[in-house]
Amino acid sequence: MKVRVDQKLCVGHGRCYELAPEVYDEDERGHCRLVASSVAPELVASAQRGAVNCPEHAIRVEEEVDP
Amino acid sequence: MCSSRVVSKWEKALAKLEDQSEERTAEPVGTPDPVDAASVNIFSAEFAACPQPTYANLREKCPVSRSAIGGGPILAKHEDVVWALRQPEIFSSKMDMQLAMGTERPMIPQQIDPPEQTRYRRILDPRFSRKRMLEIEDDVRKSARDLMDQFASDGSCDFGEAFAIPLPCTAFLHLMGLPQEDLGLFLHLKDSIIRPQEQEQEGMAVQQIRADAGRGIYEYFERAIDARAGQSKDDMLGFLMTAEIEGERLTREEILDISFLLLLAGLDTVTATLGCNITYLAENPEARRRLVENEGLIPGAIEELLRWETPVMVVPRVLTQDVTVSGVDLREGELVSLLLGSSNIDPSAFDDPELVDFERDRNIHVAFGAGPHRCLGSHLARMELRVAMEEWHRRIPDYEIQPGETPRFSPGIREARYLPLVWSV
Repeated sequence: MKVRVDQKLCVGHGRCYELAPEVYDEDERGHCRLVASSVAPELVASAQRGAVNCPEHAIRVEEEVDP
Repeated sequence: MCSSRVVSKWEKALAKLEDQSEERTAEPVGTPDPVDAASVNIFSAEFAACPQPTYANLREKCPVSRSAIGGGPILAKHEDVVWALRQPEIFSSKMDMQLAMGTERPMIPQQIDPPEQTRYRRILDPRFSRKRMLEIEDDVRKSARDLMDQFASDGSCDFGEAFAIPLPCTAFLHLMGLPQEDLGLFLHLKDSIIRPQEQEQEGMAVQQIRADAGRGIYEYFERAIDARAGQSKDDMLGFLMTAEIEGERLTREEILDISFLLLLAGLDTVTATLGCNITYLAENPEARRRLVENEGLIPGAIEELLRWETPVMVVPRVLTQDVTVSGVDLREGELVSLLLGSSNIDPSAFDDPELVDFERDRNIHVAFGAGPHRCLGSHLARMELRVAMEEWHRRIPDYEIQPGETPRFSPGIREARYLPLVWSV
């Protein structure tokens, strides 16, 4: 699965990296920085947990499209 | 644990989220009930004591009502509140000076709008990041323990006076790099600004008390800056004195206007949240026992109580243009109240919003606001709250409100002005 963060929407609530630090990290300003944009199957639940708890709806977890 | 079940739970929530984040149409549909101007005073102590039933009433019957004081519009729905918070070009934070709390200029960055506000947030956000706040956690923990040493063996206290008021203030002094001996002075200045009504100065107008205290705050920080001339220190004041925006140092006025905000915004809000939390836990011993038995639940409990209690019930904005919200026409120049508290228990955004669940799967509360003005100190507040809740419950796990007494809450920011607690020693 692929995780996308819309940096125009992120304002640094920090819920994602608090709840799912294995997928999300903080940049210098406390805004979301992805640990990796592609998440292994065992981390998909964490990625989704971070996404649904974003008050700005800035995170999307999507199927990776095969090239 | 069955991981596939967990995934499907999040998938369901994600689908719901996609639904809600559809591009919002400019003209909301539906005709609201007639506006009842005098029915609700959201700035009354009665409302502050138990606002949740009124929130539900407003959302369902009158999502855009008119304030009993001043007549400005009050937005109650999650969708409207969050939408407004994300449109600073329409819902401006530039307040008329009549709303000023003893300041001579706007507080930075709270009372200015993007893009100017963004320039300040770029340099301030890193100083208030979660990582930075963890660096002062030990100091805050020590302050909490020191405070508790003074009353834990008494078996009773007024929660505000003994703990919830001094703790955030000592944290603020640590953060700024100011002497702890100034605690009393700070508490006095802050109270004069926030609650001038409670000052017993015969014949003195509220505005005068505020203006005097405001001057006192400016002068205090002026002296603190002067005393540091030439020395560099790695604390907030030292940072502000050397910080640059686009190669330019902050002016003295900018440093004062930021410091003023940190003082006003950083103390009362955490005090109020602690009071709301402890009142809830005193009244709900089963929930409290769960926290005491499992400290790992505390961060989730803090988020859930921020949602349910929403100590900062409302934030103001000024309209820069005419706009229609939930079918109601609002006019340029109107002072709008965004009801964060109502937004946080709106069933359109939360499953079982009336249920207080420390392990809630999805909690998108906006107790710290949303959009570009998201509370600068939210990570500081969360750290202080977590440390305070941990230390309090380790030492005093079992407590109740003194029988026969009722906590009193102040309007606007729901601070427990009287919260007598008792416990066995």
